[in-house]
Amino acid sequence: MLFWIYYIIAAYILFLLIKELFNEKDFKVQIAIAISLIPFILRIFLIK
Amino acid sequence: MNNGTSKNPILLLLIVVILCAYSSIEFLGMRKPDLLIPSKSLTAIKKLSNYFKGMKNTSADSDIYFFDSGKPGGTVLLLGGTHPNEPAGFITAVVLLEQLKCEEGRVIIIPQACLSGFTCTDPLEGYPSSFTVKGKYGDRKFRFGSRVANPLDQWPDPLVYQHYPSGQKLSNFESRNLNRCYPGNPEGSLMQQTAYAILQLIRSENVDVAFDLHEAAPEIPIINAIVAHEKARDVAGMAVLNLEFEDLKYALEISPVRFRGLSHREWGDSTTVFPFLMETSNPIQGRLRGVTNEKLVLYGTDQNYKKALESGKLRIEYLVSGEPLKLRVGRHLQAFLAVLSAFNELNPDKHITVSKVPGYHDLMINGVGFYLN
Amino acid sequence: MDLIILLVIIAVFAGGILFFKLPAGVALAAAALAGAIAAGEYFPVRHFVEGTFGFLDPVMIIAAAMIFMKTVEATGALGTLSYNMMKYLHGYPTILMILITLFIMFPGMLTGLSSTCILTTGALVVPGLIAMGMPRPAVGALLAIASVLGMIAPPINIPVMIIGGGVDMPYIGFELPLLIATMPAALFTALYFRFRYLKTFDITEVLAQMPHPVHDRHGYKLYIPLVFVVGAMILLRVFPEYIPDVGIPFIFIIGALLGFGTGEKFNFLVVSQKAIRESAGIIAILIGVGMLVQIMTLTGVRGSIAVNALNVPVEYIYIVIILLMPAFGSAYAAASILGVPLVFVFLGHNEIIITAALSLLAGIGDMMPPPSFLCVFASKMTGVDNHYQILGKSVIPILFIMLSGVLMMLFSSEINSLIQAIPFGRPY
Repeated sequence: MLFWIYYIIAAYILFLLIKELFNEKDFKVQIAIAISLIPFILRIFLIK
Repeated sequence: MNNGTSKNPILLLLIVVILCAYSSIEFLGMRKPDLLIPSKSLTAIKKLSNYFKGMKNTSADSDIYFFDSGKPGGTVLLLGGTHPNEPAGFITAVVLLEQLKCEEGRVIIIPQACLSGFTCTDPLEGYPSSFTVKGKYGDRKFRFGSRVANPLDQWPDPLVYQHYPSGQKLSNFESRNLNRCYPGNPEGSLMQQTAYAILQLIRSENVDVAFDLHEAAPEIPIINAIVAHEKARDVAGMAVLNLEFEDLKYALEISPVRFRGLSHREWGDSTTVFPFLMETSNPIQGRLRGVTNEKLVLYGTDQNYKKALESGKLRIEYLVSGEPLKLRVGRHLQAFLAVLSAFNELNPDKHITVSKVPGYHDLMINGVGFYLN
Repeated sequence: MDLIILLVIIAVFAGGILFFKLPAGVALAAAALAGAIAAGEYFPVRHFVEGTFGFLDPVMIIAAAMIFMKTVEATGALGTLSYNMMKYLHGYPTILMILITLFIMFPGMLTGLSSTCILTTGALVVPGLIAMGMPRPAVGALLAIASVLGMIAPPINIPVMIIGGGVDMPYIGFELPLLIATMPAALFTALYFRFRYLKTFDITEVLAQMPHPVHDRHGYKLYIPLVFVVGAMILLRVFPEYIPDVGIPFIFIIGALLGFGTGEKFNFLVVSQKAIRESAGIIAILIGVGMLVQIMTLTGVRGSIAVNALNVPVEYIYIVIILLMPAFGSAYAAASILGVPLVFVFLGHNEIIITAALSLLAGIGDMMPPPSFLCVFASKMTGVDNHYQILGKSVIPILFIMLSGVLMMLFSSEINSLIQAIPFGRPY
């Protein structure tokens, strides 16, 4: 149960980060956001 | 939104997805079970879920191998892989399982006690995900896992881990450490359930002697030691003496009463079993280690530990020639035999006799691979 | 060899920040990549990716805490609370400053996480302090220092638990030693900022500059989210047997959702987007640090740093501890890499006092470059562009903390006998 709550929280943060990636204008900051996506993507797909 | 700003994010997203996909191959590869080839005297294979139904279909439902001599005697249980990043414990269990013949009593082996931990490696540690032992009949690849259960099986960690039932506080990731979860809780987390299932096994199979095989960093004070519950003090003392005849030095430690959740404490407190935990010195777990790779798992030679040993600053158990896997497995096997023989001497009505088990000197001459099928 | 790798890592990180103006998180990731190449590992994708998981839990806490804070800011609760604090306590500036320091520390004491201090109670006091005429970098420095002390102060201290995990020492009997480690420093910090930076001010002018209170429009229900979050954290500590530990991120998210209808109207999606925008830089730093630590471990650089630190002659060991413990740039990394072996070096002294002192020194690491993670956070909260200004204003309290840490280590047995003499001081 708690697992799925955290799954949803992680998914929401991932969604916000991706949205932010497209809002951000500065390429360097875009890279920073992009690397932050990695653990969230792998967690959402239940890989790592 | 103009073209220039939306092209970059898509490109970056694509790169991230490619990195994730590429690394997933190795991450998912760790879910493939290790190939174990039991000796001919195997009599049954069960699972932890046979002892606690709640474990069924979980990734911690480990195999349990039974070797029943059919003759009366005692029962011994041996756990490897409580910590999947301590390969000597796991490989010792594998060698036993692939070689052993049981002559009197029964032997029960759980080679991968924390099966969930074998499916991932610890972040920040830079560990290899597997290591290959050159065997008599070809290469054998084994997983090198995480000290604790896979977070995908038990997420999130609590802010602070409170041991059940004592309430003792430990840092959060210890909630996924099987050897902090005994005596377990059938209603609790996956690791507490695993611990509970192992306790149920000890109770229902009337286990007399139980081993939990570990390794630890060379700077930890309980290296090359046998940790025993106070009720098993005589057996352990006699075993340590026996081992000295083989030129193997062991420290005898009695399980601390205050520190809860450990196998040598809780198994002994909640059942009639005589528990023993054994440690070897493994540089790949140390905080001072140099380059971290498969070679370090197999040969255990590390320049940093050599340096630390020479400086004399820390009490370090490390051989300048290295602490290879064969030596660590050899020590575990020899200590296992020594404790059994001490137990037999003190409990003539519960003999447990095994044969075809190689000892320390055999391992040092022939290597680990020689004893794999 | 290890030295070359280390130099490459430092050079790439510094160059990335100074010449290419990269965000710290990207510079850390670049340094990790350069380190891997220098060591001949080239491009170990699995290790880069695995490293990003190293601090995933703190990242989730920060993201959730930010969403919560932006919510209570949007409902008006945050502004109203700091307005009232100013209005009623302005007559007693010394007491006010001590209370503010303890107030900032409070969430860290409960969660053991320095970031929660800055993000929650820290954010509450910022408008008031700035309105009182304290320079913004000084406000940031107070926030950062108090957050470090909050993380180290009992009942929860995660660096101690990390060291304890490495040396098999349960988390028992640390309450008093940790109070001894943190309270003098907290008092010093409060007084230092009070007498150095707080000038006389006109309260009506201060209040005029602050966000308008909305208490009259919404009444006490305005505080429901704040009361819930603080209450949940306290209850979790006091009655751990009865209240399930659902984790800090979840508590913050519930707190944020409770904000609906308690104050001014807000759009949850917009508010959370704002929260992520403000924390994206810090999240990237933690992800980048994870990558770098993983590569430093893989290549053996991490171990070399630790072994060389231990090899320093005894006379200099305290100097090394002072210089190196904070230099890891992360309390958790310092505790794990150096804290654990150091406890063994000091074997024979009182382990609990030594560990408490080491955790205090490791704690400063959260402020130090390369990540300067708390200073970056504090600069965001106070609107300071260059976070090194905040580090600059923190120097004297940091020196005081270092001094108290070393004194604790030097007099560990005396402190221990003192504790033993107090009836309730003994663990049991």
